[in-house]
Amino acid sequence: MQGDANPLKYTDIHNDVVASIVETGSNYYVALATALALTLICFFFPWFYQLYYGIGAAGMNHPGVWGTYLASFIFWIGLSHSGTLLSCVLHITNSSWRKAMYRSAEAMTLFSLVVAAMMVMVHVGRPWFIHWTIPYPNQMEMWPNFRSPLLFDVMAITTYITGSTVFIYMGSIPDFAAVRDRTRGWRNTMYSLLSLGWRGTDTEWHRLHWAYTFLAVLIIPLAVSVHSIVSWDFAMSIVPALHQTIFAPYFVVGAIYSGTAGIVTVMFVLRKFMDFGEYITELHFDNLGKLLLVLSLLWSYINLVEVFTGFYSGASGEIEALRYRLFGFYAPLYWEMITFCAVLPLLCAFKRFRTSFVPMLFLSIAINIGMYTERFLIVATSLSRQYLPDAWGLYVPSAVEISILVGTLALFTTLFLLFVKIFPSVSMYEVKETMDTPKKIPAAASGGSLA
Amino acid sequence: MTHFVVGLFGDPESALSAAGSIQGADLGTPELMSPVPIEGVEEVLGEKKSVIKRFSLFGAIVGGVSGFLLAAITAVLYAHPVGGRPIITFPPYLIITYELTILFGIVFTVIGFFVSARLPNGLWTSFWKQDENRPYVPEAAVDKFAVSIGCEVDDVQRAETILREAGAEAIRDGTEEVS
Repeated sequence: MQGDANPLKYTDIHNDVVASIVETGSNYYVALATALALTLICFFFPWFYQLYYGIGAAGMNHPGVWGTYLASFIFWIGLSHSGTLLSCVLHITNSSWRKAMYRSAEAMTLFSLVVAAMMVMVHVGRPWFIHWTIPYPNQMEMWPNFRSPLLFDVMAITTYITGSTVFIYMGSIPDFAAVRDRTRGWRNTMYSLLSLGWRGTDTEWHRLHWAYTFLAVLIIPLAVSVHSIVSWDFAMSIVPALHQTIFAPYFVVGAIYSGTAGIVTVMFVLRKFMDFGEYITELHFDNLGKLLLVLSLLWSYINLVEVFTGFYSGASGEIEALRYRLFGFYAPLYWEMITFCAVLPLLCAFKRFRTSFVPMLFLSIAINIGMYTERFLIVATSLSRQYLPDAWGLYVPSAVEISILVGTLALFTTLFLLFVKIFPSVSMYEVKETMDTPKKIPAAASGGSLA
Repeated sequence: MTHFVVGLFGDPESALSAAGSIQGADLGTPELMSPVPIEGVEEVLGEKKSVIKRFSLFGAIVGGVSGFLLAAITAVLYAHPVGGRPIITFPPYLIITYELTILFGIVFTVIGFFVSARLPNGLWTSFWKQDENRPYVPEAAVDKFAVSIGCEVDDVQRAETILREAGAEAIRDGTEEVS
């Protein structure tokens, strides 16, 4: 869409984005070193400790055999949802406000998926057997069970990681080419390889448009299927409060909700620390705020339905699980989740709030704290209150689990910090599309040739 | 031997107009290079068709068939009867079928893009040294619009004249600027 009265010129966005890659201040290195150190100390060291001493280092034990690792897995898969999904939907609907923010949102998807995949490896205890989940001929004649949602997960997440990687890469090829021409040395070599010799010809643009649109069409149902399948990991178990048909839409809505909040956080960081204030504007926060409001209402409705169906079932196991969640040991977490995800987002009804950057940042963080709590409650409260009272018990995460939870944030931050120095974090060519195209200068005023 | 003449324009309308004039003068089909997709190219240079959709469809079909066969053949080869239920169970296998349909659709879409856009090019030999048959102007990645035409040596002068009359800010011969 052209003619949005954007006062910037093509060269402005070009210079700003290239500068964000090649000019690196000391603050960046401090941030990267801190994130990397936290990743090692909080994520990898505790994980190696757990690998050495066994999965007993985690607080998971009967009946709470699922803990923060799986909660983190669901959380990061959820956070991955809005990036690529939102980008695809907005691309197909030709929404021009997507263009300044989608690249970073897609990167968020990709790195969230990487962290989620890592959490599976941490959870299974013996990650060196992870290849057993992949169907291949082997001497034990042991094949995965294709009826299991766990194998659906492997298939869906592999496909989603592939799709998300391809989608962000394809959309970046023209920008890699533009950066290639402005860099030297190893950067020039890297961008030459990444841009594949892109020249920006009319044929290349035409092919990119169609390929990108087809990918968007393929990825939208895929994204919906991924979190539906994650929900079936739980819903197909015969456990009170988990065995529910509403779980698939519940998870998908929660995932998009959490991912949209994640985008708000990332946009704030890019705006504040990468000097993209001219491109990521109040309009983006306003639109994302509206989306958060709608998603919060939808999420609240589904939660209400979950409570009602649990109560209305008349099944003692179901009612006990519900009572325990609302008023039991974990109740403070439940009401924290309701406050953060159902009450606070109502502030988005006010435009003044939506267009205020710092309040929106705090809201987005609060929503994701609430959404992590939701995932924790799903795994912790359900297994704590199964049908037989003699199987009841509490799950409390160990220091190793809490450390790894903090470490996942550091790991994600590290990956994102590396991303902003390799990928153009704002799509140059798409932002240029939102600007007025250069106009013909009368011959008398042009002042001669370019040379 | 084909010589390439490249005209550099400051706005897309002039570049499109030059491309139309080049085509009208029977010098061949010019190539436009731009920092953004230019609207109206197909009206001037003719409709473009791509084979990408065929690749996507082929990939999706291959993926779907492979997904179902993977699950079904595995179930038959390593039969695991459970409570008299059928060995090949359609509902769960449809999910595997669905995921592989999408996966192969994505992979083949990418292959289709590379094939139809003729990418990668000039990459493996020289990390982007100028390919003589594919002229390139770096300004076209920033804020300029280029029209490139490959023609015989006798037609070079005529092509330059057309580009100049259309408002070219500069004319280049391949990578070397000649005026």
